[in-house]
Amino acid sequence: MKVIALIYGDEGRWDSFSDKERNAVYEQYRAFGQQADGRVLDGAELAPTRSATTVRVRGGETVVTDGPFAETKEQLGGFYLLECENLDEAAELAAQIPGASTGAVEVRTVSEEGSS
Amino acid sequence: MKYLLLLNNDALDVESWQGLSQEESRKAREQEMPRWNELFGWIAEQGIEVSGQELESPKASRVVRVRNGETAVTDGPFAETKELLGGYFLAECKDLDQAIELAEHVPIVSKGSVEIRPLVTQ
Repeated sequence: MKVIALIYGDEGRWDSFSDKERNAVYEQYRAFGQQADGRVLDGAELAPTRSATTVRVRGGETVVTDGPFAETKEQLGGFYLLECENLDEAAELAAQIPGASTGAVEVRTVSEEGSS
Repeated sequence: MKYLLLLNNDALDVESWQGLSQEESRKAREQEMPRWNELFGWIAEQGIEVSGQELESPKASRVVRVRNGETAVTDGPFAETKELLGGYFLAECKDLDQAIELAEHVPIVSKGSVEIRPLVTQ
């Protein structure tokens, strides 16, 4: 089955990192990618939430606001789409994602129907 | 420019769906289909490259943290919010305006919200 791993972390911490510190984190992610090879179907790093835009339509009117839809202590910074046997295996794999050691990784099951 | 569109459903709606039988759930889905097909038609017309996934109920989620080498797994979702992530689109749009236009066409936008996040390009 497919699972999405949502990687949450403190973006303030990331903002404060030097290039060298960032490269060290990217290096950890590359290592995870190699180790999880074949089980990673997709993934991306997101720009900080200050570049987020939230869209709602109410009564036919579009309301566009800056920022994420919810303010949280840790912010969504990236995701992986993973192929796993079950949610337990997904949680095990998620623990290997570098962000799990500094923030949190939420694993969610992908629906078999309605995906494109 | 690549954008992640996070499709957030109203939490009360999500709760009410959970009370539906399989048959009711199938019917509700069927009723929604024309609006989604309209969206996919619009996407094709615009020539936007889109992939996406629908997620199962957030009740079945786990949150994983590793501290000092110890893994702690708790039941999700990650945050208690009035809206819950129900799926996403990964879209290659011309600019933010086109991404907003895409968000406006997503059926759930009229009850929940669509959060647009640009991807980091390296």
